[in-house]
Order: sequence, then structure tokens, then C-alpha cells
Amino acid sequence: MEHVNQTKVMRRMNFRLFKNSLSKYIFLLATLFGLVVLAILIYRVVSQGIAWIDLDFITGKLSTQPERAGIMGAILGTFWLMLVVAPVTMFFGVGTAIYLEIYAKKGRLQGIIQTNIANLAGVPSIVYGILGLTVFVRVMDFGNVILAGGLTMSLLILPIVIVASQEAIRAVPQHLSEASYGMGATKWQTIKNVILPVSLPGIMTGAILSLSRAIGETAPLVVIGIPALLMPFPGGILDKFTVLPMQIYYWTLDSSLVAEYANLAAATIIVLLVALLILNSSAIVIRNKFQRKY
Amino acid sequence: MKLNKFLLFMVIAALAVFAAACGAESKDADKANPEETKSNESDKTVEKLEGSVVIDGSGTVYPLMARLAEEYMLNEQENVSVEVSRAGTSAGFKKFLVENGTDFNDASRQIKDEEAAEADKHGIEVKELKVALDGLTFVINKDNDWASEMTPEQLISIFKADGGVTKWSDINPDWPAEEIKPMGPNENHGTYEFFYEKILDKQDLVSNVNLQQDYSTLVNLVSEDKNGIAFFGYGYFVNNEDKLQAVGVDFGNGVIEPALDTIAEDGAYADFTRPVFTYLNINKAKENPQVLDYATYVMNNINKFAGETGFAPIPETEVNESIEFLNGLKK
Repeated sequence: MEHVNQTKVMRRMNFRLFKNSLSKYIFLLATLFGLVVLAILIYRVVSQGIAWIDLDFITGKLSTQPERAGIMGAILGTFWLMLVVAPVTMFFGVGTAIYLEIYAKKGRLQGIIQTNIANLAGVPSIVYGILGLTVFVRVMDFGNVILAGGLTMSLLILPIVIVASQEAIRAVPQHLSEASYGMGATKWQTIKNVILPVSLPGIMTGAILSLSRAIGETAPLVVIGIPALLMPFPGGILDKFTVLPMQIYYWTLDSSLVAEYANLAAATIIVLLVALLILNSSAIVIRNKFQRKY
Repeated sequence: MKLNKFLLFMVIAALAVFAAACGAESKDADKANPEETKSNESDKTVEKLEGSVVIDGSGTVYPLMARLAEEYMLNEQENVSVEVSRAGTSAGFKKFLVENGTDFNDASRQIKDEEAAEADKHGIEVKELKVALDGLTFVINKDNDWASEMTPEQLISIFKADGGVTKWSDINPDWPAEEIKPMGPNENHGTYEFFYEKILDKQDLVSNVNLQQDYSTLVNLVSEDKNGIAFFGYGYFVNNEDKLQAVGVDFGNGVIEPALDTIAEDGAYADFTRPVFTYLNINKAKENPQVLDYATYVMNNINKFAGETGFAPIPETEVNESIEFLNGLKK
């Protein structure tokens, strides 16, 4: 101990202790920053919009007159859109993940596909809108209907679902599938009886979280061309439609013309937030309930 | 464990079915109602139409056309769906001048020669319907107590490149020696094209002009900046009168404030007034009775709703000319 210069150490000690406590507050600040901004946002939206939410607003038709405007058309539009997006995304997303994880030989081709999927997840959503406009609205000539919007949204979230499903499938313990093969089961039997049931919670979590992204997206639908005023409710996947985030967008855009549109937009944001909250919490419930240890 | 899982699945499935049923139910109810009223009112002489009318185009004209569309669906033809979009004048023409394009295109400027040529190429007969008048309004901050009256030349010198004006004091030595912040809507807007072509006579804009996509941004910018000045349609001023003040313009016979009566065809503000239009695809109007019916409704009611959406009405003679033309299309 006598080789240690006590005074030197003591001189630096205070500074070390100061840095130690400082770091704690810096990280606390980082945490609070996001929370405070979120709290301000929610406070503003709720204080502007809550008074406008009533049964007439939820069940009413769209209108240019704020006092009689309702968002049932947008709610049904969102609902129908999900009815297209969910099955399409699940089928192609999980299918791709199973192929890549279980059938595809690990090699250069698989690597290229993998890299592309990872990159596609980072492509801006407006690019998918242009793709959807060209392929579904124009070439396949669906028009700007729910089917075209839903397929576009599916493309947008597919990369995320594929990656999440791959992770879930990869997390299935090797000994389970090997036991299945050992019993003489075929690949398909193993997938059906072992891999899918075990990885389902992970797949569902990824799928639901990406569905909530699709519910909140506006940019691709702006490109596809959603009418700003559309009063009839959609009744099928070949009908014209509008969705909640589009309504928020249009009302915000025109709030300098009619001040009450800002309140309508805020009220719609609350409805959208509640819908997203329900979806996301169901994802958590599914994950917690179905998760098992092996 | 297994049972729990099964139960949860059942609950989720039940919820999904319930949600689906709810959706379907309200939809059915919606469909059933017009059916009922239809049979109740079948003795009325008005012919019940159905189908859709598709409108796209100018965002400036949108509030007026959306208002008309809503009134039409509520009071005239409840089974016709009038869809109004607002891609902008030029983008709207691109959707209008194609096969199976839109039925109407709202425009805050007249159709261009190359757009008319495009219509010929596709064999689309187009009818220009003038629907209202809009006054280009210059707005300044509420605290700006010096520049509330200007001449057209002074306004142009603020926005023109090499106009020799960067500070208020360059216009009038009594005004503050502070830098002017000119703003306006960007090139996507027919309002910009009108300002650039008709007011500035295609001279370049000053390089520090702040061009924005959204009118609400312009309203906020000017209301927060004492030295800001912006131009846009009268409707955006009249709905934000609490935040902005309009510049009165001296065209040579005293100061004229933009207002619904000065914006009129031969009004005192006419130099800064522009007509706004909707273009009708005549082929579609001949094929689809609801398109023609809606066009006639628009012209019959246009002046009723112009004022409340910030537009000045057009002369009755012009309305009647358009209606006569539309009646001529009827079989």
C-alpha cells in the first residue's frame, strides 16, 4: 500500500464519485426525455379531443361540418384493411420464414435472400406506396380499393414478420425437432406438430406488432389515393375506403380552414391510440400465456 | 395448461367473430336504410340514381366541392357516392386525362395547352366549369403596424428577385430597417402558379422566399413572425382573421381590403382575383346519369356555398350558361 500515492488517489476520488453519480442522472434524463415528450403529447391530444368523443362521433358518417362528423367509415375501413393484411401477411411471412429456416440450404443464395429481406425492412413506407400504386392499382387494375391498400400494407410489413418468425423458429430447441425426426416424422409433420406450436407465441407477437404498424401508416395510402371525402361505409374488400390515420392527416391539413378539425383529429388520434393499445397488449398477453420453457 | 390455452383461443376467436359481426351488422343496417327510404319516396318525381362520382384535383377548391358533395349525398341522391380527393391541380389532371380517369378535376388555374392536348389524345371531351372566385390575399403579422396598406408594385418588389427590397425601410424610409421574411405556398399549388404567372409575370422569386406545402404552416409562420408576409387564397385568411391581418391593396383608386364583395368579377380587388374551376369529362357525363346530375347540382348550388367556404360567387349569367350547356347533354 505504501507504493500507492495516497494523496493523489484522494485527490481524484471525489472526481470519480462525482462522475459516478453524474452518469446516473444522465441516464435518468435520457429515460425521462422520451417519457415527458410522450406525456405532453398525450396531454395535448386528450385535452383537445376527449370532449369530442361520443357515440355520434364513433358511429357517425364523415362530414365537412365538424359538429356532425363521425369516423365509423374510417373504423370499418381500418377493420376491412386488417382483414386483408392479416391473413396475407401471416401466410407469406410465416411461409417464407419456414422455407428459409427449415428447407433452404445454408449457402450464398440464402444469404442473398436474407440480406435483401433485412434491407427491405428499412425501405421507407412511401416507396411501398408507389409500388402498390403501380402494381395493384394500375397494372392489376384493382383501383384504390381495400384489396389494393391491404396488399400494399402487407408488402410493407412482410419483412418484419419474416424476420420475427425466423427468430421464433430458430428459438425452437434443437432437441425437440430432432426427437420428432427420430420418431420417423416427416419434415412437414415436424413443422406442423413441433416447430409451429412451439414458435407460435413468437410469431404471433411479431405479427401483431407489425399489424399495429400497418394500422397507423399513412404514407402508402396517400400515394395510392384515398378520397378525402367518402361517406358510404365500405362493405367488402373491393370497396373504396378511408382509414383512421388518413382521417387524422386530412383533418390536420385543413385545421387552418376550420379550427374544429384540429379537435376532430385529436379525437381520432385517441380512438386510434386505444385500438393500438388493445392490439399491443393482446400481443403481450399471448406471449406471456403461451410461452413455455423447454 | 392445455385447457387454459384452449380457453384463451376460444376467447380470442369469439372476439374476432363478434367484431366481424359488428362490422357486418352496421354495414347491413346502413344498406337497409336507404333501401327503405327509397321505397317510401318512390312516388317522388325525382329519379333515384346510384353509382359513384369521382372527383380529384385542387386542394384550394376542395372545401367548396366537398361541401357540395356532402349536401348532394344528404339531400338529393343518397345512393350516389361522391368521392372527393385533393391531389392538387396538376396531379389531378394526370388522373383525369387517362382512360377510366376521374369524372371531375378541380383546378385553381386553367387547363394548360399540353393538358388539353393530352385530352385530345385520349379522346376525352372536357368542359370547363367556372365555379367561384378567389382573391389572392397578402397577410402580415398582427403586430405589424406599418405595412397594412401597400400598392401592387410594392408587394411585387418584396417577392421579386432583384426587386431591390430586403428591408421594410427599402419600401418606405419611415418603416423599420428589419429584414422582410417573404413566404408562400410551393410549386405544387395552383396558387403559386397564379402568383408566379399572373402577378409576377414569370419573373423569378426572391431567393430567400420560404415556400411551404401546407397552408397551416404559413398561417403559423406569419402569426409568429413580425416581419413575415405571405400570400394565399382568401379562404385561408378569413378563417384565421384572429391570427393574421390582410394587407389592403391600393390599385390606384384608394386602399381595397380583400373581402367577398371586392373579390367579385368586376370588383375593386379584381386585379388579384382569379377564377377557380372544375373540369368535367363530357364522355363520362353522357354515359353516367349520376355524373351529369351531380354537375347540374353543383352549378345550381355553387353560389349558395361559395361564401361560407371563403370564395366569392360568380355572376348568375355564367352559372346559367353552364347549366344550359349541361342540360344540352341530357338525352
